[in-house]
Amino acid sequence: MNVRRVATWTIGVLLVLAVAGFLAFLYLIPPFDLVSPESLIAPETAAPPSLASITDPKTRALAERGKYIVMITGCVDCHAPPGPNGPDFSRYMGGGLKTSFKGHGTFVSANLTPDRAAGLGRRTDEDVLRVLRSGVSADGGRQLWYRAMPWAWFSNWTEEDRRAVVVYLRQIAPVAHKIPPPSDTASVTYDPAAIEEGSAVDAGTTP
Amino acid sequence: MQADEHLAPLAQRDLMLELDVTYACFVTLRFNLSDIFGHDIAFLAAVVVLLGGAAGAHAQTPGSPAAANGKAIYEQRCVQCHGAGGRGDGAAAPVLIPRPRDFTSAKYKLRTTETGSLPTDDDLIRTIAHGVPGTSMPGWEPFLSPGEIAAVATYVKSFSPRFATERPQGIPTVAASIPGAPSPQSIVAGKAVYEKLRCSACHGTDGKGTGAIATDLKDDEGRPLPATSLAEPWTFRGGATPQDVYLRFRTGMNGTPMPSFVEAATDGDLRNLAAYVLTLARKPVWDMDAAELTAFYQAQAAEAARDPVRRGRYLVQSIGCTFCHTPVRADGSLVDGMLFAGGQRWRAVPFGDFVSYNLTSDKETGLGGWTDDQIKTLVTRGVRRDGSRMIPFPMPWISYANLTPADVSAIVAYLRTIPPITNRIPPPMRPNIVSYLWGKFQLLILKKDLPLLAFPGNAGSGGLPAEVPTKAGGA
Repeated sequence: MNVRRVATWTIGVLLVLAVAGFLAFLYLIPPFDLVSPESLIAPETAAPPSLASITDPKTRALAERGKYIVMITGCVDCHAPPGPNGPDFSRYMGGGLKTSFKGHGTFVSANLTPDRAAGLGRRTDEDVLRVLRSGVSADGGRQLWYRAMPWAWFSNWTEEDRRAVVVYLRQIAPVAHKIPPPSDTASVTYDPAAIEEGSAVDAGTTP
Repeated sequence: MQADEHLAPLAQRDLMLELDVTYACFVTLRFNLSDIFGHDIAFLAAVVVLLGGAAGAHAQTPGSPAAANGKAIYEQRCVQCHGAGGRGDGAAAPVLIPRPRDFTSAKYKLRTTETGSLPTDDDLIRTIAHGVPGTSMPGWEPFLSPGEIAAVATYVKSFSPRFATERPQGIPTVAASIPGAPSPQSIVAGKAVYEKLRCSACHGTDGKGTGAIATDLKDDEGRPLPATSLAEPWTFRGGATPQDVYLRFRTGMNGTPMPSFVEAATDGDLRNLAAYVLTLARKPVWDMDAAELTAFYQAQAAEAARDPVRRGRYLVQSIGCTFCHTPVRADGSLVDGMLFAGGQRWRAVPFGDFVSYNLTSDKETGLGGWTDDQIKTLVTRGVRRDGSRMIPFPMPWISYANLTPADVSAIVAYLRTIPPITNRIPPPMRPNIVSYLWGKFQLLILKKDLPLLAFPGNAGSGGLPAEVPTKAGGA
């Protein structure tokens, strides 16, 4: 009798402790507050390609300028493919992040790598510059919604800095990650009060 | 000129043309809408537009098919900047530099007509086709047929009644022969004209746009408009051939502080001036060699150190701080007059609601009470004034960690100059602990995707300015 009672109590206490521990664990992770800012910064800062191997000094200087602009603008915030544990920097600038805008449709961030089939490889410099300057995509001259691709701000970079960005984008390793075209908003049901709804699901496909 | 063809009285041949244009409109509209909404709605919308167009065709002038076609194209491609009513107040307009053209004013920079006059149809068509360098106005030639561009020009004209009553006054000498390469004498004479006309007051003696009154310049709407740097002809709005540059002196750039010099100088003087101004050009970076490029970037850094506010303004305007730090209306448009006032509410499920901060220099509710170091620490390390930590979104401080110390200081220096707006921002709002834990469970254990939502309006204390009354709703 006594042994059974002790066993029941022990199991009960252990169960309560386990649940409490699990909830505390849930409460605390992901450990944004438990790790230093530097360790959060490091993966994004380490992701872009090194430009040291570019032999032509002019191309290297332009690409360095472009890289700086791309990094401080946070292009990767939208253009990194969403992975199971946050942005997938191993497929740097591969795109695939899906965002929906009330009245303007669903946009998937483009693949900015030089991949010929899925990325910017088949685009001319002017095609890319036109998107950065005016939001006008090379496919039929459709103007992208300025809150999906914030071209309205990027048009304020000088033309010289914008061209440096294009030089840099040409240096990124190609990523075969195909991005679907913009689509309707019918599938978005999260919150009727919201005007923008981002989702960290990879909407691109890797062949 | 092409647009005028559609204005001819309806004959049998014109009727065919009308049908063609309407059909093209139908196809274009359906094609583009189906991208966005799917085929059924696109088909319905196209039918509505067709019926509306058919009804309108009887009510309006014989020019309506072109105008209707132009309207459809305009509403697809032009409204984000110029606005549905053509007032230059589109959703993205508040952050564009320079501001998009207000078509209701009928003041156009790029004309071949006398100052204050309307532009010709060809002037409008040229701008739509080729775009405006140094601005976000793209050239539409790769995407629109000449007929479509003419139709857009016709529609753009319909925003101002002036086009119905006035004729453009062309300038007599526009077709005069243009000298090939300017002679050295012409350049020397042009330099004297540059001094005589006091071009340097705005554009500076070296032409770099740093004249004595350069920073005080405003457009006709009272908005700041920096003087153009004459050293960068690839940004000349109307192009950089001697003829283009001459035309800007001859016709002025209406709506901006750039006047016409037709009274102040002879035609020959102005052509010499154009020759001289083009000698002020420097090499663009894409034409420099490696040594020149290195020296140029070093000079740029030195200039930024001398004038950090200017550098900071450039960075802030281009990186896109106002994407979040400005209230947005339900239609997704930025609230003009409240740039940097914050108040945009974001919900990062399950972490809670975060309202973008007031970045103006307001002492009580903005950054006025913050020290430089407090701002820098938040921007580059995600640590707030009270020592609490920010999650890595929606404020992308991880990206800003890559800013050089000089650029962070420049950004702070610029933020200090933003006129105060009172808008008290609520602190981050956590959901209740059950929702929070359930959200975490879904996110981390079930690997469910949770949304990041943005809400319209101003979540700060400052409210929103009253809506600008529309033309239809006025009086």
